[in-house]
Amino acid sequence: MYSKEEIFSAVSTVIDPEVGFNLVEMGLIYDASCNEKMEVLVTMTLSTKACPLHQLIIQWVEEAVLKELPEVTLASVDLVWEPVWNISMAQDHVKQKLGAF
Amino acid sequence: MNISTAFAPPFKLVAPFFVLGVMFFLISILLMFGSNLETLHYLNSSTLAWVHIFLLSFVMLIILGAMAQLVPVVLEVGHCAVDLYYAIYPLVIVGTTLMAFGFYSLPILLPFGGTAIFIAMSIFLIETFLTILKVKKINFIIGTIIISNIFLLLGLIVGIVLALNHSGIISVDSFKLLKAHIFLVFFGYVGTTIMSMSLILLPMFWLSHSFSWLYVKSAFYILCSSIISMLIFSFLNINIFEMISYILCIISLLLYFVQIFVIYKKRVRVEVDIYFKSMVFSYFSLIISLIFLITYLFYENDNLLISASWLILVGFIGFLIAGHLYKIVPFLVWYERFSMFVGKKQVPMLNDLIPKKSSNFQFIMSSIGIIIVTIGLLTNISEIYKSGLCFLTIGVIFLLKDILYMANIKEESYVF
Repeated sequence: MYSKEEIFSAVSTVIDPEVGFNLVEMGLIYDASCNEKMEVLVTMTLSTKACPLHQLIIQWVEEAVLKELPEVTLASVDLVWEPVWNISMAQDHVKQKLGAF
Repeated sequence: MNISTAFAPPFKLVAPFFVLGVMFFLISILLMFGSNLETLHYLNSSTLAWVHIFLLSFVMLIILGAMAQLVPVVLEVGHCAVDLYYAIYPLVIVGTTLMAFGFYSLPILLPFGGTAIFIAMSIFLIETFLTILKVKKINFIIGTIIISNIFLLLGLIVGIVLALNHSGIISVDSFKLLKAHIFLVFFGYVGTTIMSMSLILLPMFWLSHSFSWLYVKSAFYILCSSIISMLIFSFLNINIFEMISYILCIISLLLYFVQIFVIYKKRVRVEVDIYFKSMVFSYFSLIISLIFLITYLFYENDNLLISASWLILVGFIGFLIAGHLYKIVPFLVWYERFSMFVGKKQVPMLNDLIPKKSSNFQFIMSSIGIIIVTIGLLTNISEIYKSGLCFLTIGVIFLLKDILYMANIKEESYVF
């Protein structure tokens, strides 16, 4: 079974084309788990509900998990809006670059 | 929420709206060189021709193109029949051209131009209303779209009556109808659409979160009240209520400005890019024009009214559109030509598709142009006005160049 850290590492290959940071750095990935059948579930949000790349980003996350973690049999995303994303969830260098500090 | 990028229209469908729109923006600015400041008045035929070219073939064309993209995002359902949009822009161009000639020299062309515009807008309205029928739950933004489209429909009907009157086919009190037409189409459709779409686009591009919508909701309801009271009381000839309509309209725009300021204060992204600069200049123009309008209510100096109209049309709406084009066009190009390579090859970021030096030059020339033209209009000095137009023309040429550049970016140049 893959650890949460390994799944986060796989998802970190997905970059938001608008801001140029990966989804993990942005704090958009809330949780990740892998069961005994090697099925991965990523719990994530988006910076805005109106994101026009909504479904494409979900697809990228699933593809990244399958590509980076070869033993995974199924990758799926649970898109949630609670808690609402805010900049405090992003890593420090992202806050710095975006000007939140 | 189930927004699908599969609902997005193909780029070849929306690109002509943006390219033709900016081309007509350039044409409308070039036409301004022929304006005589002494006879500049909102009832002058040349002014009416210019306003229709600017609003129909630039502002409306780009709003319609943007709505093709935004309707699925806002409504969270796919278009009912997006291919109908292919018929809209040719009809708008033909209709505007006929109307422009009609106002300039051949009034008999006005009903024909008006009919072409009416058909184009009806296609848009029918498509939008049929798409709205697929929505299960109506929220505030969808409500604003419904109301603004009803205003557009009523404004178009009044517009056709005005065209028939102007060409001499029927005889009505055009002054009363003109006020209704302006309020319904300009404030009722363009104004409310800008208000509601700002609530989607600004927080998305500025990464603003956790702000109250109180101001914009109040602004929207007050603007609707202003339009309805103008419709009723201008026909009843009750001047005091007409004045109340104007005041309500100004209050609404001020509240909208406050809402934008709230979103601006809550923004996370502080990058000063071409979008940010264009938005700041746009809202700065709005607030200055509101100051002119409030001053006009007390001093009734026509130069103030003309300058305020200029700032709202070209300073506010023009820069609002230009700024959004630098976001929407790269997004559409990126989505169509690069998104399929994500995870497989190195792809550019959206920001990489914007010609930065050229866009900054465009912004500088256009903003200098707007300021100088405003001074020329306020002082009624033709030389100042025309020198400002020279700067603005260069700015708009660069805007057109940038749009064409971004629309023609090819995968081979960026994907390795």
